[in-house]
Amino acid sequence: MIIAVLLIVFAVLVLILAVVRISARRRPVDGVESFRRHIDALSPAARREVIDRVQNARDTGKGK
Amino acid sequence: MARDLAIDLGTANTLVYMKGRGIVLNEPSVIALNRQTGEVLATGREAWQMIGRTPGYIVAVRPLRGGAITDFEITERMIRLLLQRVGVSRFTRPKVVICVPSAITEVERRAVTDAARRAGAADAQLIEQPMAAAIGADLPIDEPVGNMVIDIGGGTSETAVISLGGVVALEAVRVGSFDIDAAIQNYVRREHGIAIGERTAEEIKVAIGSADPIGDENEAEVRGRDLMSGLPKTVLLAPEEIRFAIDDVVSSITASVVRCLAKAPPELAQDFLVRGMYLVGGGGLLRGLAQRIERETRVPVRMSPMPLEAVVLGAGHCIEHYEALKGMFMGARR
Repeated sequence: MIIAVLLIVFAVLVLILAVVRISARRRPVDGVESFRRHIDALSPAARREVIDRVQNARDTGKGK
Repeated sequence: MARDLAIDLGTANTLVYMKGRGIVLNEPSVIALNRQTGEVLATGREAWQMIGRTPGYIVAVRPLRGGAITDFEITERMIRLLLQRVGVSRFTRPKVVICVPSAITEVERRAVTDAARRAGAADAQLIEQPMAAAIGADLPIDEPVGNMVIDIGGGTSETAVISLGGVVALEAVRVGSFDIDAAIQNYVRREHGIAIGERTAEEIKVAIGSADPIGDENEAEVRGRDLMSGLPKTVLLAPEEIRFAIDDVVSSITASVVRCLAKAPPELAQDFLVRGMYLVGGGGLLRGLAQRIERETRVPVRMSPMPLEAVVLGAGHCIEHYEALKGMFMGARR
């Protein structure tokens, strides 16, 4: 009986800890971080994959 | 699970980019319908071949004019068929990013997103064409420098100055390469007394059309219907005639480029002299157009490496980096 109560208390504590950690992680993204992500996603390096994919498909099509 | 899509819903052509795959569809924005039953008979290239050559019960139409939806129901059906062709079903509902002219109204905006959602998209977001074009043209828009892009489509021409991932100045006119075709049709009717179809006008534009004199010019033989006798007739057209016929349209495009340059902040304006402006879109392929804009603005004009695909490429990049770039969608808070 005591073991069961202790297990329940332990589970509740773990749950509370998990909720606290998740909510701390979910703090709103600040402007600087969001702007940096936006600009990084527009960098030539980020765009290279998409452009190369279409360019290669185009070149392959021309070669046929 | 369907792959997310980017759609360049152009007045002339529709291109579809699939996340992780690339461009999976590139077809004319045309749909052929049975006039009596309303049944769809063909879409894309097949429907385009029918323009001006159909019996009375078939109608082949472009549901977009000037970048705007002229027939909501037909556009919705066309989008639905396009999505079906790239594998979207009622069980696979992708996120869709659609490129639209920057000057569209709130009503038109809603019409496009509603059409995409009804056609099977789980979520439909819009992106301004010049912004997508600048991303697709591989311009360094992530840097604090002036990037200028001129996107000449079938029904609209848009010029934008972009810096640090945002539009700084924008100028749009509802004039595009279809207006050039219409100007050629009107000229031939008025000056030579023959009626020609829109596909013939387009062929003339491609064969001998130019915005500025270029070397190695030839005349073109044009066949149409004599307006007086009703009989088939052939006339010879000179390149100078076509230049004269399309001058109003070309002037309207160059004037909008000049207005956009005038709106740009001085710090960015000096960048254009070094970096130049970039032409994208099918209309940008008109011979002598880059030369004409360069002559009138005294700013170098360069052609994008993939002018026809630049817009859908840019939207495709947004679908690949959806979370990071969702602030670029129309109506999003930045």
